[in-house]
Amino acid sequence: MSEPILSLSEVFYRYPDGTSALNGCTLSFQRAKRFAILGANGAGKSTMLLHLNGILRPSAGQVCWDGKPLEYHRNGLHQLRSRVGMVFQNPDSQLFSASVREDVSFGPLNQGVSLAEARERVATALRITRTEELADRPVHNLSFGQKKRVCIAGVLAMQPEVIVLDEPMAGLDTAMQHELTAVLDQLHERGITIVIATHDLDFAYGWADEIAVMQRGKLLAHGRPEELFQRTEVQQELEGTPLVAEIVSRLATLGLTLRSDGRLPRSRSELLQALVKHPDCGI
Amino acid sequence: MLTEQTAYSNRWRTVSPAAKGCFSLSALVAAFVASSPRMNLLTALLLIAITTMGAGVPLWRYLRIALPTLLFLLVSTATLAFSVSFSMSSLTLSLQPATAELPRVALVCSRSLASLTALLFLGLTTPLNDIIGLLRRCRVPALLLDLMTLCYRTLFVLSETVHQTMTAQSARLGYGGLRRSFRSLGCLIAGLTIQIWQRSEALHRAALARNNDGALRFLEAEFPDAPRAITCAILAGISLIFLAATIP
Repeated sequence: MSEPILSLSEVFYRYPDGTSALNGCTLSFQRAKRFAILGANGAGKSTMLLHLNGILRPSAGQVCWDGKPLEYHRNGLHQLRSRVGMVFQNPDSQLFSASVREDVSFGPLNQGVSLAEARERVATALRITRTEELADRPVHNLSFGQKKRVCIAGVLAMQPEVIVLDEPMAGLDTAMQHELTAVLDQLHERGITIVIATHDLDFAYGWADEIAVMQRGKLLAHGRPEELFQRTEVQQELEGTPLVAEIVSRLATLGLTLRSDGRLPRSRSELLQALVKHPDCGI
Repeated sequence: MLTEQTAYSNRWRTVSPAAKGCFSLSALVAAFVASSPRMNLLTALLLIAITTMGAGVPLWRYLRIALPTLLFLLVSTATLAFSVSFSMSSLTLSLQPATAELPRVALVCSRSLASLTALLFLGLTTPLNDIIGLLRRCRVPALLLDLMTLCYRTLFVLSETVHQTMTAQSARLGYGGLRRSFRSLGCLIAGLTIQIWQRSEALHRAALARNNDGALRFLEAEFPDAPRAITCAILAGISLIFLAATIP
């Protein structure tokens, strides 16, 4: 296995009010993969994510980029934050400027790129996130979903290698969720490593290459979606399994083995397709 | 809100803010140069006509936005035009027109009116973002402009929060009766204070995450036809000042 792009080893973090949010969290992220972080509220997902961008510094333990420990001085952080983009849960706490185009330009100008380059990056970011037509609109007139996409554009314009999103699907309707998934797919195709904290088991199961489950500030399990949800401790911690996984495993016990592209189907559409194609199904 | 909407939806939204700023400034100068109330009234009418017919701001909307300021102007005019005197002998208060001062009162008030229409012209045709961009180019200190940017953005976030909190309070009968209203209002203010604090923390974090080191830097919008628009504005502005200075 190649060197992970980002990794945490035995990271502890205690908030100033005494709450210990991470208790020896060890986790690594491979380059260009899609990661979903699952866990109950208060499991330490958001705190862990804030370590990836150097906003929080571990009380003990180490965070590494490309195998080298992070340096928390000015230059080190500047580099890290240019490489790791962070999309927060609440778009209103991330958008500074009242105009969309201005806000998206905030990151690249902080990186110190030229005005011409910044303009170009902003245009590209707006195109990828499909927010071009919002460019000159004031931020406060956008819907929640639009704000969310503008937040992603603001991070994308910094051309990061890793994008971290804290519960990006929360508060979005189904159509918006599909649009956001399409945007995420595009980022993945560009070779960007994506890390998402979420509560949506079905989404995580269908989308992620790897899933990590956190429990009380520690890693409980980490692996490929198909194998991860077969573990009892994971099912217990998350109090359930993704619907598609459940159906596929029940059908398997009845002797109906479904395959989609040579592996277990993971999303609704894959499941339906596998059912239609299966010779014993007769649909 | 109405001002904000108008600034974004008027016909001259995409005209260079520098041009609109120049013209508005010239109109202000004209108002100070003019020596007669008549000329000031003329300037005011001209600016109203330009804003409503040129930039396409509906007249009723213009009047609605100007109304609070006009009322204020009316009250100030009244206090200038009338003097209250108290006579010790008869112990009576009397209100008398300050006849001798009337010409000066008329000039001051008409000047205020003209200045008001000049500022409304800029405010109703140019969104605040563009005005801030313009001020940045005029080398206004960055700290002041950053504050303006954040205040402007936060204003909307906070007004939404206030609205949501008040709705939630009303839904649980928070504003039934005077006593309870006061209590709810107190809770609202207390809650808001903490929220402002938390939001500022979140905003700071988000700024750090995007590599910010203090100064807020943004790309400014580009206005393709700016040189032509600025030339027009300067010519119009100079003519206005010239007229104001020569017409008695």
